[in-house]
Amino acid sequence: MRPANLLGEAVKTAWVTKVPSALIVLLVLVMCTAALATVGRTAAAEQQLHQRLDSAGARVLTVTEPSSGSHELINPATISQAAGLSSTERALGAVTAIDVLNGAVGDGAHRVPAWGVYGDLEDAVVLDSGRWPEQGEALVSEEGMERLNLDEPAGWVQPSSTNGLDDWAVVGTFTPREPFGDYGVGVVYPLDEDVAAVTTLHVVLHDGNQAAAAQSAVLGILDPPASDHLSVQSPLSMAQLQDELAGDFTTFGRTLLLGVLAGGAFLVAIVVLADVLVRRKDLGRRRALGASREVIVGLVVLRTALPATLGATLGIAAGLGIAGAFDALPPWDFTTGTVVLAILVASVSAVIPAVYAATRDPVNVLRTP
Amino acid sequence: MVLALEDMMFRYRRGEEELFGGLSYVFEPGRVTAVTGASGCGKSTLLYVLGLILSPIHGTVTLAGENVSAAVDAERSRIRAESIGFVFQDSALDSTRTILDSVIEPALYAGWRQNVAQDKGRGLLDRMGVGHRADHRPGEISGGQAQRVAVCRSLVTDPVVVLADEPTGNLDQANAEGVLAALSEAAGSGGTESGGGGRTVVIATHDPFVIDVADEVLPL
Repeated sequence: MRPANLLGEAVKTAWVTKVPSALIVLLVLVMCTAALATVGRTAAAEQQLHQRLDSAGARVLTVTEPSSGSHELINPATISQAAGLSSTERALGAVTAIDVLNGAVGDGAHRVPAWGVYGDLEDAVVLDSGRWPEQGEALVSEEGMERLNLDEPAGWVQPSSTNGLDDWAVVGTFTPREPFGDYGVGVVYPLDEDVAAVTTLHVVLHDGNQAAAAQSAVLGILDPPASDHLSVQSPLSMAQLQDELAGDFTTFGRTLLLGVLAGGAFLVAIVVLADVLVRRKDLGRRRALGASREVIVGLVVLRTALPATLGATLGIAAGLGIAGAFDALPPWDFTTGTVVLAILVASVSAVIPAVYAATRDPVNVLRTP
Repeated sequence: MVLALEDMMFRYRRGEEELFGGLSYVFEPGRVTAVTGASGCGKSTLLYVLGLILSPIHGTVTLAGENVSAAVDAERSRIRAESIGFVFQDSALDSTRTILDSVIEPALYAGWRQNVAQDKGRGLLDRMGVGHRADHRPGEISGGQAQRVAVCRSLVTDPVVVLADEPTGNLDQANAEGVLAALSEAAGSGGTESGGGGRTVVIATHDPFVIDVADEVLPL
C-alpha cells in the first residue's frame, strides 16, 4: 500500500471513528498540559535558577587584601596572571572606593563613591557616551550624574576629603557590567598602570563549577603568607548548590514526566484496544481484501498518531497558558520534547492493540450467521 | 491462471473434525464453479482457504502452478489484493465510506494510485448500473445494489480469481439474477493476466438457481 494511501485511510478512519479519536485527543491534551503545568514549571524554575546561578554575579571570585599590613600581593603582575588562567573570563583589580563630589560645586555637594580600577575598564563597564578615560579622567554613571548634579558628562569631580588624590575630569557616562553593579551609583576611574598594589582582585569565571580549581589557582598565584591574610568570597558553595539542585530537579522532573506519560500511554492503549475490538469487522474485511498485517498495524498506529498530534498541539497551548499564568514558561526545548514524546508515547502505546488487531482471524468476523 | 487444490484438508482447531478429506480439484479459468453442500460442510471455509485467508493443515492451494498456501502472510496478502476478488454474503461494505471508496479498497492495498483506482472503480460501477450511486453511502442503496457494488469491488484489481460466498443469499430473484449475470460476465471477460482465458469464479451456495447457472458444480 502506498504511504499516501495509508495516510489517507488513517485520516478517514480517525475522522469516522470520532469517539475514540476525541478520547485520544483529550488524553494526549491532558498528558501534555499536565506535563507542562507540572514538570514544565519545574523545568522553568530549574532554568531560572541556572540562569541566576550562572550569572556573572554568581561566577565571581573576590579576593581582598587588607590595606593595613599589606604585602602588595594583588599587584599588576598577579592580576595579569589571574587573567591568564583558562578558567578566567575576565579579571581586574580595584582599590577601596572613596567619596567624590562635583568639583564645580565644591564642599557641601552630594557625594558619590568612586572606584579606581586596574585592568581593562571595558571588563567592568559599558561606555554609554563620551570616550574612555585616560589617567586623571573618569566616567560617571547616570545615577551618579544625577546625584552629582551634572547635566552633561562634563566637568570634574574631586575627593570629598583631602587625601592626596587629584581631581578627575569627567569624559563620559557608563553602565556597569555584571558583577560590578555597585559601580552604577558613582564614578569609575582607571588606576595608574604603575600602581604598586590594589586592595581587591575580582576574577569572573567562565563557569561557576570551576570555582574550586580557580580559587586554588588564584591563591597559588597570590601566595599569601598566612591562610587568613586574604579575605576570599568564592562561588564554590553556589556551584555545589547548583549541582545539588540540578540533580534534585532532574530526578524529580524525570520521575514526574515518566509518570504522566506512562499513565497517558496506558489510557491511550485501552482506548485503541477498545476501538479495534469495536472495529474488528472493518479490520477483518480489510485483511480479507488484501491488507497485510503491516498495513493494519500501520493504519491503527497512524490513526492514533493523528489525533495524538492534535491533542499534543492543544495540550501544549493549554500547558503554556497555565505555566505562563504562573510566570514559569518552560524552555522551548522542553516544550518541543514534550510534544514529540507525547505523540511518540501515544503512537507506541497503540502498537500492542494494533498487533492484536492484525493477528486476529478475519474469518470469525466475516462469517454471516 | 489455474487455481487448484491438491489433497487438501483443513480444521479450525486441534481435535476438531477435519474438513474436505484430502480434496483435490482444478478450478478452470473462464468457468463458474458452484460449491454446494449442506450447512456446516465447509463451503465458506473452502472459499477462505482458496482465498488464502485460512491455511490448510494438509495439501496445497496452487495458483498458476505455484503453491500459494505455503507463502508467508505478507505474500498471501499481496496475492489476495492483486489476484483474488472477494464477494461476501452480506456485501460487507464499510458504512462510513462512499460506494466508490469501498470499491477501490482492494486496489489501494495492491499499491495502486488513488486516482487510477477511482477511474477503474467508476467504470465498473457504470457497467454494473450503479455508477450514479458512486458518492452515496451503503445505507442509501438497496441490498441488490450493494451486492453489485461488492462485485465491482471484487473486480477492481482485475483479479484472476473471484470468490463469492453466498452472493445471492439475501437477494430476491431479480437481484440474484443481476449479480449472477455480473459474475458470469466476469468469468468470461476478465483474466487479463491469464492471457484472456477468463477468470476463475467460485461461488459457495445452496441456491438451486445458482447451481443451475454454474458451469461446474463441486459438491462437498
